[in-house]
Amino acid sequence: MDTFTKETISLLALIATLLPLFSFAGILLVPGSRDRGSFFSILNIATSLLISVVIFLNVWNKQPIHQQFDWFIIGDWRFKIGILINNLSALMLLLISFIATLVHVYSTKYMEGDPYIFRYWAYLGLFCFSMFGLVITDNLLLLYMFWELVGFSSYLLIGFWFTRETAVQANKKAFLMNRLGDLGFLTGIMIVFSQFQTLDVNLLFSEGGFFKRSLVQGDLWYFSSNHMPAVWLTIAGLAFFFGATAKSAQFPLHTWLPDAMEGPTSVSSLIHAATMVAAGVFLIARIYPIFNPTVLIVIASIGAFTAFMAATIALTQNDIKRILAYSTISQLGFMMLAMGVGAVAPAIFHLVTHAFFKCLLFLAAGAVIHELHHLKDKKGLDFDHQDIRNMGGLRKFMPITFITMLLASLALIGLPFTSGYLSKDAILIQSFEWAESQGSIARIIPYTALFASWMTAFYVARLIFKVFFGELRLNVLFGQAFSLHEAPVAMKSVLVVLAIFCLFPLFSLNPFHASHAWIIEGLPYFSTTPTVESYHILIPAVVSIAAIILILIGYKWYGKNEKAPDYTKAAVFRFSQEQWYLNRLYKVMFVDSVLGLARTAFSFDRTIVDGIVNFSGKIIIVLSAVSEWLDRKVVDGLVNGVASVARTIGNFVRHFQTGRLQHYLLFMILILLTFFVLKYFSQAI
Amino acid sequence: MIPLSHYMLISAALFSIGIYAVLSKRNAIMILIGIEFMLNAAILNFVAFSKHDKFAASGQVFALFAIVLAAAAVAVSLAIILNVYKYYKTIDPTKIDKLRD
Repeated sequence: MDTFTKETISLLALIATLLPLFSFAGILLVPGSRDRGSFFSILNIATSLLISVVIFLNVWNKQPIHQQFDWFIIGDWRFKIGILINNLSALMLLLISFIATLVHVYSTKYMEGDPYIFRYWAYLGLFCFSMFGLVITDNLLLLYMFWELVGFSSYLLIGFWFTRETAVQANKKAFLMNRLGDLGFLTGIMIVFSQFQTLDVNLLFSEGGFFKRSLVQGDLWYFSSNHMPAVWLTIAGLAFFFGATAKSAQFPLHTWLPDAMEGPTSVSSLIHAATMVAAGVFLIARIYPIFNPTVLIVIASIGAFTAFMAATIALTQNDIKRILAYSTISQLGFMMLAMGVGAVAPAIFHLVTHAFFKCLLFLAAGAVIHELHHLKDKKGLDFDHQDIRNMGGLRKFMPITFITMLLASLALIGLPFTSGYLSKDAILIQSFEWAESQGSIARIIPYTALFASWMTAFYVARLIFKVFFGELRLNVLFGQAFSLHEAPVAMKSVLVVLAIFCLFPLFSLNPFHASHAWIIEGLPYFSTTPTVESYHILIPAVVSIAAIILILIGYKWYGKNEKAPDYTKAAVFRFSQEQWYLNRLYKVMFVDSVLGLARTAFSFDRTIVDGIVNFSGKIIIVLSAVSEWLDRKVVDGLVNGVASVARTIGNFVRHFQTGRLQHYLLFMILILLTFFVLKYFSQAI
Repeated sequence: MIPLSHYMLISAALFSIGIYAVLSKRNAIMILIGIEFMLNAAILNFVAFSKHDKFAASGQVFALFAIVLAAAAVAVSLAIILNVYKYYKTIDPTKIDKLRD
């Protein structure tokens, strides 16, 4: 397969990226029937998948492909963009196109009959385009653009059923939270640019790249002739991590992900479990050299804390998708933890395995929801078709869904012979080794993650036993016997394909140890911590044995129809069920304060600004009344006065104009006489 | 010898009668007669003052001229009156007031 040149491969990558965009534009711009688009989209994404396979075979463990061209030139300074495909992006490309293709196939049945399905296909196309662009671009600015685009397409898809108020609220929340993170990303980009004058990922972050060559001495961070205070390096790392925090739903910006479950389940599976939320992890892997030890500790602690917190919340949720959403957050926390402890390769490995089993979990949950929804519509019943308290005994009706979901659950718990076992234990082992080298307080971090992993076992067991074991609780609820069907072939086959990817042989030939997994071997290894041999046996054993015990407890409580102890009154239970009160806290802290500020501004506007305007309006009214009066009385009065004086004089003089000669003569004589009389007397005086 | 002041008095009386006639009569002919009165008052003055003339009897010569001119003027005036009568069918000056328009 060495027949391809670098140019051909980058061209192929470009085609693979643009094909989904083509389906997006094609579906939206070409008018036609409402239910079109499925064939076109699947064709495009399958072609992308084929191309990705070719690219992967040509790039994996070979020379990375890097092609650039000038985007724009300012003065002597060239801004180059291009395509950078190394092991990491080739792997991501393959993963995304594979899962996207499966989800497309699944959606043909899952979304069947939706009146606006063409929008669904178009948005999926936009999402795939953005995601492909995100992984193959070589420039931070372009990466940022695609980053925004995935956020935007996720917004569109969460709000796909925009007539539901909750969906609209959820997509707004997701968008706002992601914007918050984007702010961090942008800050990081600006810091990097002002230090290095380039945003080229290859130049900045490769072996011997600018970041390796820049150095921190004292309080200053030097690179060639530039220097800035060293604290900016930490800030840049934190800023990028903040961006990743929002996208990958880490504490404190995780609250959007459970709400994002308002979208179609297939979307939750593709975007909010397998690919988009992994973008944050991908970003961190792509720019790993930027993070200094301080930031790495922050990443590790946030990751471990998120894993723990989300796991505790997942214990008590009743909505099947919400449980899976919190499980996703928890697993992303594991990936972040791995990044923080320097286990980049295990993190990406876990990203890949998680993508498969979490996608499968969602799709299987989608199948269950789909069937229950059908039942609801057919019988005209009213119940929550996502509530696991209404399910039970589905194993008998949907055996394939049950078996595939069971496999995915085992992978999520991390039991041996599954893919999840390999990746999760690799992370745990490395974090324990890291803690060993760090010292006392850092040990809290891996233990937190260990607890989270045990809780995972319990909540997954609870989910599986409540949904698939026992008797269908709807029968009890409505007092009649219902029967359900297995999912349609299109959905079933996708579940089976994904289930294969939950098993170990595809990732490592040794089912008990991840160090020879091909993904880990193909990715850069940053960790410098010494290997502690005992951990490699102890930790998997502890995790697996505890997990099995917890699964048995779960079976006893939820599987065998035995009454589980009632903790619903306990404060801890409430705390978990209310999701640590974070939503309420955010509402009080941010939403209410913003609303309060808005209200204050509104009343300020009302009273002060409007008051000033109204007051000046009143002054003008008064002024104009005065000037109106002046105009009427003085100016007009003057004019009218002149006129009336003239009229009076005219009227007076008119009387002399009798037209009679004798009168004229008389006046003449009188005037003459007057003249003479006056003359006489004036002389006399 | 009659003193000059007597002439003057008679002349003034004549003039005043003439003015009165001109201002008050409702007949154009009577007004004409009033005018003749005033003319004659002036002519009388000519004659009376001729006693003090530098050249002998030049005042009287002027008086004769004035009489002749007065006759001509009367002729013209009567012609005007006739024309006025023809136009207005009246010679009452109070009725002829077109001058005011």
